[in-house]
Amino acid sequence: MKARTLANKLIFYVAIVAVWQLVFSLHVAPEQVIPSPYSVGAALGHGISSGSLLFGIGTSMWRLGAGLAIAIAAGMVLGIFIARFEFVNQVAGSFLLGLQSIPSVAWVPVAFLWFGKTDGGVIFVTVIGALFAVAMNTHSGIKNVPASLIDAGRNMGASGIQLVTNVIIPASFPHLISGFKQGWAYAWRGVISAEVIFAVLGLGSLMNIGTKSSDISQVISILIVIMFIGIAVDGLVFKRLERAVRIRWGPTS
Amino acid sequence: MTKLQAKNIVKRFDHNGTSVVALDGINLNVEEGDFVCLVGPSGCGKSTFLNIIAGLEKPDSGEILLNGKEISTPGPDRTMVFQEGALFPWLKVIDNVEFGLKIAGIPKGERRQISERYLDMMQLTKFSQSYIYQLSTGMKQRVAIARALALDPEILLMDEPFAALDSQTRDLLLVELQLIWERTRKTIIFVTHNIAESVVLGNRVAIFKHRPSKIKKEILIDYRRPRLAEDENLLKYQHEIIQELKSEVIEQKKTGD
Repeated sequence: MKARTLANKLIFYVAIVAVWQLVFSLHVAPEQVIPSPYSVGAALGHGISSGSLLFGIGTSMWRLGAGLAIAIAAGMVLGIFIARFEFVNQVAGSFLLGLQSIPSVAWVPVAFLWFGKTDGGVIFVTVIGALFAVAMNTHSGIKNVPASLIDAGRNMGASGIQLVTNVIIPASFPHLISGFKQGWAYAWRGVISAEVIFAVLGLGSLMNIGTKSSDISQVISILIVIMFIGIAVDGLVFKRLERAVRIRWGPTS
Repeated sequence: MTKLQAKNIVKRFDHNGTSVVALDGINLNVEEGDFVCLVGPSGCGKSTFLNIIAGLEKPDSGEILLNGKEISTPGPDRTMVFQEGALFPWLKVIDNVEFGLKIAGIPKGERRQISERYLDMMQLTKFSQSYIYQLSTGMKQRVAIARALALDPEILLMDEPFAALDSQTRDLLLVELQLIWERTRKTIIFVTHNIAESVVLGNRVAIFKHRPSKIKKEILIDYRRPRLAEDENLLKYQHEIIQELKSEVIEQKKTGD
């Protein structure tokens, strides 16, 4: 990143905090509704020094990682399957689309009844939230692979699984990435929703504790952490994957 | 020795519910080391015929024999240079050239040696680490040729590989392809709608008749190589083909295609 962009970003964040401080100082709402930046900072500091925040981040990230890994693996298999057998798509396509449109949080009651308030329950919500987005994008990615590339692969002796792994999957990589990106966004929402409701450790659970003790600073501090994890994942994972695509396919794709 | 034999190849297509005969009994013999051009109006089925030889499409009847043995599936013994290259954008030039060798399970070191040899032959060594989008159309077709040759096929199939090139690049590649053919002694079947191109390249030009598609006539071009596109001595062959195709084009207009 250019030094200038970095400086502008810094100014932007400082400005947000300044406006926030201004609003707080004007006493437009009581402190239990709009906390000061300082008290949120203190809540963050307390979370870090007590270890609860890092433990919460670790727990949530572990669940996210496990859930997303399962969703990506199963979603790709499902996507390849419906792309390979067009009649499956014709028969079950709108059903899958319907499943994809269900918000992750709506699966929480189901997860509770099936798995109880456990890691398994949270991971279930994560998987089910991301699975169909990955599957649908895998499907459309495969459908968009130019027939000539598949012909070229077959022509040079690739068939069956070799054709899938050496031609079809790499050729649909740009689509797969948008599937993973969507999947991650749904998965992250799923993890936090389930944790808030189940209150079984993790960042969502820390928010839940904040709510129960009417500690708005705690709630907002966790919200900020969740947001920055989102920014970090996008920067560390997806920006890199998208760059890898640009390097290969060229800047226009 | 006969390298490839096409016996009575018939192919039908379903077009809006009616069956259209795309190939109506094509017979072709190609000798080892021959350079055969298939020329004809667009839509005459010459590319379909090439795809059938490659095993990418199945004929409704008839058979293809390679070295006397019937073939029906695709295979690296008949590599194709596709019209738009059909190169893999996620692989560097050198990895594109190595693709078929990798599929065949040839070890890395050996693969690299072979691909470097063909990159050198196609004057691509400088570009071995480039990605496909960075190449000009002409460069892409060079890569496609290197990739097809790297598998040391029994027969090289070329489907209008120079159709998208500007004329200077095409003229250059027409000469280069002849030199490569003389050097490698590969059997080549080259599909084109460009008559000038067919007489520059082919030892033999098979003229396709339109719907139902058949080979109308074959002409031998017995002339020294390398031939240049602007060589006036080739004009009489061009005229001969044009005369044959003229009736085809008129026929095509009548049927409204």
